Parts: sequence; structure tokens; C-alpha cells
Amino acid sequence: MSSTQHGPTTGPTTGPAISNEEEVVVVIGSGAGGGTIAYELTARGIRCVVLEAGPYLKPEDYLNDEWPAFNQMAWLDNRTASGPYRVARDFPNLPAWLVKAVGGTTTHWAGATPRFRDYEFRTRRYYGGLEGANLLDWPITLADLAPYYDRAEMAIGSTHRHGRPALPANNNYKVFANGAEKVGYKFYATGPYGTNAEPYDGRPGSIQDGFNFQGDKNTSKWSTAVREIPRAIATGKCDLRPESQAVQITHDARGRVNAVLYLDKDGNLHRQSAKIVCLAGNSIESPRLLLMSASSLHPNGLANSSGQVGRNYMRHTTGSVYARFEQPVHMYRGESMAGIIADEARLDSSRGFMGGYYFETLALGPAFLAAFAEPGAWGPEFTEILDAYENTAGLWIVGEDMPQETNRVTLNPALPDQWGLPAPDVHFEDHPNDVAMREHGFSRADMIYQAVGATGTHHTPPYPATHNLGTCRMSERPEDGVVDRWGQAHDVPGLFVSDGSVMTTGAAANPTLTIVALAIRQAEHISEQLGSGS
Amino acid sequence: MPDTSPASTISPRAHTALVRLLRVAFPHSRFPDGPYERTAAEIIAQLDASLWHRLALTQGLESLDAAAGGDFAGLDDDAALALLREIGDAEFFAFVRGVAVVSIYNDHETWGLLGYEGSSYEEGGYVDRGFDDLDWLPNPRIDEYDGPEKFVEVAADNEVSASGGGDR
Repeated sequence: MSSTQHGPTTGPTTGPAISNEEEVVVVIGSGAGGGTIAYELTARGIRCVVLEAGPYLKPEDYLNDEWPAFNQMAWLDNRTASGPYRVARDFPNLPAWLVKAVGGTTTHWAGATPRFRDYEFRTRRYYGGLEGANLLDWPITLADLAPYYDRAEMAIGSTHRHGRPALPANNNYKVFANGAEKVGYKFYATGPYGTNAEPYDGRPGSIQDGFNFQGDKNTSKWSTAVREIPRAIATGKCDLRPESQAVQITHDARGRVNAVLYLDKDGNLHRQSAKIVCLAGNSIESPRLLLMSASSLHPNGLANSSGQVGRNYMRHTTGSVYARFEQPVHMYRGESMAGIIADEARLDSSRGFMGGYYFETLALGPAFLAAFAEPGAWGPEFTEILDAYENTAGLWIVGEDMPQETNRVTLNPALPDQWGLPAPDVHFEDHPNDVAMREHGFSRADMIYQAVGATGTHHTPPYPATHNLGTCRMSERPEDGVVDRWGQAHDVPGLFVSDGSVMTTGAAANPTLTIVALAIRQAEHISEQLGSGS
Repeated sequence: MPDTSPASTISPRAHTALVRLLRVAFPHSRFPDGPYERTAAEIIAQLDASLWHRLALTQGLESLDAAAGGDFAGLDDDAALALLREIGDAEFFAFVRGVAVVSIYNDHETWGLLGYEGSSYEEGGYVDRGFDDLDWLPNPRIDEYDGPEKFVEVAADNEVSASGGGDR
């Protein structure tokens, strides 16, 4: 990987220097969870050090070019994928497509912001004893989270919410929505979507420039890199340290967290004292760091008395459908995912599976379509897909997958990363419920497109995961999970997990909105704890 | 693109065979030779990535003529495709395919031929350049449904009693 410096790593843009000896809140990661926590705490006057493994990329650094942008910001440190799922064969070193930069994966998130549904917090109750699924009800309900969903939607600027207007229909949406209407779907729209339809919150309205997965140069799309992180730094209470890889969380003799060890970009080891640690490295790096933080008090990994750290890894049940038409579509023009059909995002087991799924518009350029449409394929059947590019419409299926104990993140001692630390291995196998849901989605997507004249459709298998969830799950009882209802480790006072790995189950919705809502709620809790001196 | 002289690393015959292989494996009648030539150059430039690359790739390319009974580049499309299907699992072919699927479709000349316009931000995006110019379907609703039908989150058969009947 290139070690090009993309932005200043010291000076006023990264906030005041905080001493390594000062016991502060240490936030590990600056994405949806970490960036939000850092802003919410520093806005309340609580001093934070933010350790971000990646560089500080700015909107002017982002590239409207799929492969160069991927090489600029994707997390490409050593990882392995294992298990029977197809990603392990096609992309054995890329189980997930995440971002390593300030702003984390919000840098390249598409923008869909549906909320979780009430039943999705209680899947053990609703789905019953689904064999092979390690289901558990969340220790919180939709009602607990609702006020924080409101605040998250205001922070992100979701369209269709709180009086904000819808984005207009782009070409890909016109095909998608007309097909939806023809097959009898009702609950479709161009959002809710985390990109400004008109100027909001100091950022401009969309210029329909596409490239949602490469970082938005126009800053119309919300990310913590354009909102929470700069605002946290502006408080004067946040010391952002890019290119700082956390390698261990330590605790004192009584078991309370007391520091984070991290490497700077030159590989020098530092120790930052901590009174609280908020771990937000995404669902692969967060459990990896806990497993690397094993101690005599925590021999199986920090906060792992339940044995659930790294387990119940979820990646959403996904698939894509690309449909060919006789006339032009130009799917790549405009906001890539500003189209959502919610009619299948419900519980109705007469369809042959538990849980629900969304359809969302999706567009790739020729470079990524070639890489991901049918990995490993070649020949005339393959080039037919690319030859139809101009006349192609695309959508993504995203639905709830079942947590399974054996789907897990572990340390791979046979493969060190660039620092000599064990790389994470991501093991995954579809649950039969996941397969049934995907097939249902494919068949309904074909109907949507055939209803508006598709001459052919192609079913694309799941990509390296963009939604990675569940590896430090939230539970009422310590024996069932890793963190409590506030995201605090059952076993380790002062240790919070602040990302999507706390999700007890994954629901159908894209996770970013919920990660932000949980982080706002957690920051309020931490602030109250610190305020009361406990 | 790397400026690599193919003749210095593999034979001219093998180079010709490689370009032909690329066109048969990734056939696009609209594409000129340029994208395939550039992809061949990129593959050859990676010969020295490892000894194994050099051994497997050189042997694979140099033996295409033998597999074709004399002249791979002279086979017609169907015959060449049939031969490639036979060697599709060979490691050298997998390597060639892996480089080609990135290189051919990352080539700006092919973007234009496929109808893709590339970088858009500096052009002001597509807001005034056709993001909504599709005219063969009516303009759909963009706001959320506001009609009489109510969204049913949980089907009646999947409702659980307040006492928690679903928790088995």
C-alpha cells in the first residue's frame, strides 16, 4: 500500500495536543460510532483523544475513479476470509470493504437511513427457536432508541425526515420505482437518504455527481469526516491522531481500563492513559483488538467471559440484480442509492423465511461492475453484462441475516499484519434462512425489472461485506453477550464498544443510522457517568 | 501504462497469442486493439513479480500454439473459446483473467465505448447533464407512500402474545 501523506497529521486541524499521561476518554476509530462519540463528548466539554488507524483524507483528496479511490481509502491490511461462502474463494483477503481513513466507513457509505423496526429488537421472541440461529432479544427496544433516531436523522440530514425534502428521481430510480409500482409495491421513495437535497447544516445540496462509494467531493453526503470530526476539533477538547493503530487496551489491578497502546505511522509504540475507552473499530477490528488485549484477568480476550467476542458475525443477506433494457438508463448518473423499496422489509414467514429485506438502487462503474458482477467469470456471457452497461439498471438486496456462533472473527496467527500482529480471519457461512431470503429477493427483483421491459437480468452474489455487525453483541445477561444496554463491557468497567459490533441482531436496515443513534445515546450516558463522578 | 517491450520477455508469437487470448476471453466487438494491447503489456510487466509468475505464465503462453495444434492466433472465435474453456482452470489463465478484468475495464477508452462518462465532479456532476433524462418511463413518485394502505410490519400469523409465546 502507498504511504502517501494525504493531509496534515499535526497542527490546528487535528486539535490541541493532549498529554499521553492525561486520563481522558480514548476513542478508537473515527467512523459512524467513534466520530459521533467524539463530537458528542467534546461538545459537552469532555476531553477526548481519537486514535484513527488511517490518514486524514479531505474531500479535495477524494477521487472520482473507482480503483484509485479504492486503493486510496479501503482497509487493505492483511485479513483472511474463510468458510464456505463465496467471498472466501473470490476475495480471500478482502472479507469486507471498509474505509481506513478519518471518517471511517462513513467516507464511502451510500446513504440509506431506514430505522430498525420494533420486532427486529426482539427476534428471539418473534423468530422462536430457528435452528442454528443464535438469536437473542436486544436489551433495549425501539422506544428506547426512538429519540436518538430523531437526533441521528438531524445530524445526518436524512431526506424525507423532519421536514427535509426528497432527492429527485435519477434515471436508475425511474426504472426501479416504475417497476415497483407495476408489481404492486407501495412503500418506495428516494429515501430516507443521508445526502442533502438542498443546502443543510452548512453543506451544499447534491449535484448528482455519483461516486457515492469513493467519498463525496461535494460534501453533500453526511460523513463524520465532514461533520462530527471537524466540529469535535473546533471545541478545543479533541486531539485527533490519524495513522495511529491501536494495538492493546489495558486495565488496572481492579480490572478497570486505564490505557490504550498504539503505534504511530512509523511503528513507534505509545501509551495513552484513559479513564474511559470507546472502541469503534468496526466489527472486525473491534473484536480483534479485544482478542489481542488478553490478560491474566481476561485470558480469552478482554471482555470475553461470555466467549461471545468475535462470534455472531453478521454481514447482512445481500445480492444485486443488474437488468438490461432496450433503451439507455445511465445508472451511474446521480446519487447511487437514493431509491428504497420497503415493502419486503417486514416479518411474514409465509414467504419461507424470517425477517425482511429492502431493495435499494445501486450503480457501479464499468471497473467495479466487471470486478464484482460475477467474480471469476469471463467469456461472452460475461462481456454481455458489460456490453449492456449504458442500458443497465441496478439494485441491491439488503436484509437481516441470522447470527450464528460459528460465524466469527478470530486471530490468524499464521498471517501477521504489517506490524507483526496477528491478522483477523473472518469465517462465514450462510444460514438456510439467509439463502431463502436472497432467492426471494432475486425473484422479486426480476419481476420488478421485467414489469418495465427488461430483456435480461443478472444476479450478482454478495460483495465483500460493507455491513459488518454483531461481534461484540449487546445483552441483558453477561453470559449471553459482550456489552450491556449502554454498550459498556459486562466484564470491564470503563470499556465501551461504540460501533455496529454491539448489534444483538442485524435487522434489515442499513446500519449507519442505528450506529449513530446508539453512539449519541451512549455519549449521553458516559457524560452523565462522568458528571456524577462514578 | 508501463512501457514494456514484450519481445524482451516473451516471444513475439506468445505476445500475439496473449492479445488474441484476451480478445477471445473478453470479447467486445466495439473495442479496438488498444485496450487489449495495453492489458497484455500490463500482464507481461508483472512477469517478474515472482519466480512462480514467470514460470507459470511463460510456460502457459508459450504452449498455447501447441494446444491449438500449431497456431492459436489463427483459430476462429469458436475454436479459440473452446480451447480457453479447456484451460480455464490453469493457474496462468486465472492470473491473466484476474489482471485483465481490472485492466480492460479500468481503461478510459473502454469507458467511452461502453457509454460511461467517468469523473463528474469537475463537470458539475450530472445535475444539469442528464441525471434524470430517461424519458421512456413516466416520472415516478419520490416521496413516501401516503395512501390508504397501511404498512404491516408483522403478519398476523407471526404475531406473538404479550406473554412471550414465540420464545421457545
